[in-house]
Amino acid sequence: MPKVKIPRKSTSVDMTAMCDVSFLLLTFFILTSKFKPTEPVAIDLPNSRSEIQVNDAIKISVDKNGKAYINYPSATFRLKALEKMAEYYKDKYPNLVNLTDKQKANFAQVETFGFNAKTNVGELLNKKPDEISAESTGIPIDSADNQLGDWVMAGRYADVDINHPSARNAIRIAIKGDKNTDVKAVQEVIKTLTEKDIHTFNLITTLAGGSSAAAAEKKE
Amino acid sequence: MAEIDTSGGGGGGKHGGKVRGKKLSTKVDLTPMVDLAFLLITFFMLTTSLNKPKAMDLSMPKKDDTKKQDVKESQVLNVLLGKDDVVWYYGTEEGKMTDMKQTTFAGDQGIREVLLKKQKQVEKMHGHDKEYGDKMIVLIKMAEGAKYKDMVDILDEMDITKTRIYAIQDIVPIEQETIDNNGKVKAGEEIEKVTK
Repeated sequence: MPKVKIPRKSTSVDMTAMCDVSFLLLTFFILTSKFKPTEPVAIDLPNSRSEIQVNDAIKISVDKNGKAYINYPSATFRLKALEKMAEYYKDKYPNLVNLTDKQKANFAQVETFGFNAKTNVGELLNKKPDEISAESTGIPIDSADNQLGDWVMAGRYADVDINHPSARNAIRIAIKGDKNTDVKAVQEVIKTLTEKDIHTFNLITTLAGGSSAAAAEKKE
Repeated sequence: MAEIDTSGGGGGGKHGGKVRGKKLSTKVDLTPMVDLAFLLITFFMLTTSLNKPKAMDLSMPKKDDTKKQDVKESQVLNVLLGKDDVVWYYGTEEGKMTDMKQTTFAGDQGIREVLLKKQKQVEKMHGHDKEYGDKMIVLIKMAEGAKYKDMVDILDEMDITKTRIYAIQDIVPIEQETIDNNGKVKAGEEIEKVTK
């Protein structure tokens, strides 16, 4: 039998194709990941083992100094809520009534806002969206002047107009509190909500590290 | 240093100084690049999914809810959240404030152990309940200086220990005083005021 010569094959594989694929995936992930919405204040969320997802919700942020901000789900929603605010509470907030379209558009650009609606809002809304966001001073929530409750109600009216929800799938209200804020500020917000007949809401948290949940699972 | 110089010169000499037009391959080894790309992919995948905020449900009682429940003192565990992550509790024995004790949120030895113990105790005393398992009632109260994190933590503990009946209540002045007094009820104070 003749000697069969086995040709020596190189073990190196052409990596070009793999490189292409991996960079394609990388680009995909970078592009699809949502950027954190700009917020006037950074909020450090507390951990919990809860895993409920909340998508569309009126989010009430409470920063570490106990100031409240509100975040509606979309720009159209914000615009509608502003209209509702002017419609239902025009006696309370005359400054919100005669806003120009430009001012309204600026307002709709600000994702999380917090200002006193009784001050000169028109002047504030003449500024650029980032400036409006940066000048947030918080929405008053004390019992004498509870504007947060009105904003929440305006949001609910806006939700009815936009999504036409049935009684069961009305928009959720979520509280996004900083973990180091005094619990009293959050309780104040909760009180505001219960006064408006909102008894079920969500607390936004981040998922805790697996250790505590795993430990609990073991115990059960 | 000098050695490197000489060896380099010697190497060149071996080939007789003839410059060989070495054909360099145009292929570059892409393996490290692929490694890097996959590392980045993994990083982005993990960070995006981990950063998603989760939420917990919280229901508060309706104000006009006049339905009164018959609650026995021995069913109730009072949990008071103080400053610096300290958790005070009483009601493990006779529901008296005289045995107000201090614990933390730390894993198995903290408030979780207290809750589980009390659960067993209540089940033994009041029997098994079809709907709730046991009939323990936890009253959560926020003392001066409690952080929002503490509230979320205690709600989390409720979930972990499967406590179904709990309520967030306002703190009673005497409870605050007792905490300020390091867990001791001031002499002469009526403890029935709280536990009634």
